[in-house]
Amino acid sequence: MSLEYSITYKAENTYEESVREAYWQFLIIPEENDSQQFISIDFTNSLDATSEFSINGYGFKTIRVHPKGEFKSIAFEANFKLIKKEINPFDFEPEGDVQKSFEKIQELDFKVDHDTFLKTTDYTLIPEKSKNLFTFDTNQSVFENLRALSSFTHHYIKFNSEATDVYTKLSELLNIRQGVCQDFTHLFCAFARLNGIPARYVSGYLHQGNGYFGDSQMHAWAEAYVPFVGWIGFDVTNNILAGTDHIKIAHGKDYSNCSPLRGVVFSTGKNETVHSVVVSSQDQQ
Amino acid sequence: MVNLENQIFSSYKRNPVLFDEIFDEKGQVKEVYSKLFNLYGEHSINAYVNLNEKAKASFFNQGITFQVYDKKKTQEKIFPFDLFPRIIPPEEWEIIESGSIQRSRALNLFLWDIYHDKKIIRQGVVPMSLISSSANYLDQMVGLNPPGGIYNHISGTDIIKHNDGQYYVLEDNIRCPSGVSYVICNRTALKRALFGVFDHYKTYSVTNYAENLLDLLETVKPKGVDVPNVVVITPGMYNSAFYEHSYLAKTMGVELVEGRDLFVENDFVYMKTIKGPVKVDVIYRRIDDAFIDPLEFKPDSALGVPGLFAAYKKGNVTLANAPGTGVADDKAIYTYMPEIIRYYLNEEPILNNVHTYHCSRPKELKYVLDNIQNLVIKPVDEAGGYGISIGNRLTKKEIEIVKAEILINPRKYVAQPIMSLSVHPTYIDETESFEQRHVDLRTFTVLGKDREFVLKGGLTRVALKRGNLIVNSSQGGGSKDTWVLKT
Repeated sequence: MSLEYSITYKAENTYEESVREAYWQFLIIPEENDSQQFISIDFTNSLDATSEFSINGYGFKTIRVHPKGEFKSIAFEANFKLIKKEINPFDFEPEGDVQKSFEKIQELDFKVDHDTFLKTTDYTLIPEKSKNLFTFDTNQSVFENLRALSSFTHHYIKFNSEATDVYTKLSELLNIRQGVCQDFTHLFCAFARLNGIPARYVSGYLHQGNGYFGDSQMHAWAEAYVPFVGWIGFDVTNNILAGTDHIKIAHGKDYSNCSPLRGVVFSTGKNETVHSVVVSSQDQQ
Repeated sequence: MVNLENQIFSSYKRNPVLFDEIFDEKGQVKEVYSKLFNLYGEHSINAYVNLNEKAKASFFNQGITFQVYDKKKTQEKIFPFDLFPRIIPPEEWEIIESGSIQRSRALNLFLWDIYHDKKIIRQGVVPMSLISSSANYLDQMVGLNPPGGIYNHISGTDIIKHNDGQYYVLEDNIRCPSGVSYVICNRTALKRALFGVFDHYKTYSVTNYAENLLDLLETVKPKGVDVPNVVVITPGMYNSAFYEHSYLAKTMGVELVEGRDLFVENDFVYMKTIKGPVKVDVIYRRIDDAFIDPLEFKPDSALGVPGLFAAYKKGNVTLANAPGTGVADDKAIYTYMPEIIRYYLNEEPILNNVHTYHCSRPKELKYVLDNIQNLVIKPVDEAGGYGISIGNRLTKKEIEIVKAEILINPRKYVAQPIMSLSVHPTYIDETESFEQRHVDLRTFTVLGKDREFVLKGGLTRVALKRGNLIVNSSQGGGSKDTWVLKT
């Protein structure tokens, strides 16, 4: 069975002083993959500035806007309609021999293949004193260890949308132990990488109809590479595997590769940005 | 005392421990320099001082200046120029030129490999950590095929002559190596001052650099472009090498632009002109990776062009040098150069590499800590000669400080034996006489698609402070015209 999703993303930027020149790059288009297929994309802005479809450095689709002329506010609206196949996230061939999995991740070829997502970044740096907070149990499969890590992270950090911002690093998070999906995801990726498991940060939309926790705007989860299996999505904030309700946009090493909006704005004075996201679904006829 | 009949060298003191470029062990002038030595000897030291002053003034008048960064202030200076040229005989140049090309080609193949299959790492020739812990490795470049397969279009190779008379490479500069404009200006200045001396030697011209650079940049044009539009992009007039950026644009006959002069539309790059937008195909960029595109890299940079990296990734524009090239001029990579050359080219290195101890390896770390007084300690990621400690110049207290710094982050440091740079007679203002000063040589190699070019000359830099081994221009060095002789 499939679901049809309709996603509306809105952003409104207002500036105290006139903006002479601005460039925005949106990373908000759902990825097309085996389980996600587009019906339609629609993107508009209040200044009728031309929108260009392009890619970011990692090859994910972007929309760029470069208005001509001065302005004090601009609003953007994107509407995506797509079909998502219903997924059972547990539907995969298990790893098999536990020992072989742990041998695999020690191999040089494995490390070379997954170098990008094994590296520590500014957002995934665990302070020395906290490195033993979670350790892998080599008697359990990698997948079971990752589920345990998801559960640990979910319980160790309390969801609080006021406690952190997009600049929060793990050293601070581990002190306050409160945060949002982005923080849960960074912590999960950090411990997975520390234990030799490639992990990447995923940005996307969550269909919240079923009472899940999510960021009020967009959602983030992690994908970890299980040897002999492949990439598996872990929604750490909700302590579940990513499934039909998770609509992926992009992945990267951490939030900095996936931020939904990057802008270069030449203006003085204060500015304000308001985002909103609505995801709705209906069963396909 | 060397030669009392020769006026300008009458007070020249030759330290026999040092390798002198023009006098042999017995104090005799080497054959290749003998004519020059006699020609200069026809002048009095006063006449020489006058000429030197005129040459300096000509540099100022042409605006050939650079800026020195200091913690307190920034200063505009001319690059001090010495009228006594350095001569490189043909048989030595043959080694330097073929060795420079060999290194540039090997580095280019290395860059291709580490952004594609990473075979050299899989086969254990260089360690994984070289790229996984390098801040200059760009994940965005993985799998990207730069036009013509070239990453390091322009390389600057820093070479010294040790007291064994052999050439050694100290480092490969493949980000935005500068200095080539001085090579050409030094030649012009010397010709203006002492035109006659050129009649006695068959010296290669250095003024063909720009045309060769342009030719080779045109060979790496994007697919589907017939006659490429080449531009030079500069961070602006406050950059220390701005003179060079404008010089190269002018002599290549192409536009010099800043980031704000360009824009990207539908993943193509355009230059704003009074006649409307003009498409740009090849950009010789003198802006560091982090600043080229605020939408992809450092978001607060106003130097770059928003959307440039996407245009590059789509193959619509060539960037020279390619982004992510800096990973290969990390000083840690330098130490693997002999292995890198053998691996990709199946050749023995033509130019020597200085033996390097890696503080990241416990055994070598111990050797470094025990022998620090005989070693040069270098941070692996600093450019311009900053952060270098020379063991035999340190006090006991300073040695302890350096040791402590190494122990905090061993991966950050490498150590090398103290190389004795050769010396060359150089006119010194304070003493109004010629004295021995250490020199090195930077060669400029350009790689194009299936073609390469080495400028037959190079920048001989002089450490003007007595005994100083660091010849970098940011550290108060000077330079000399460098003659490569025809056979």
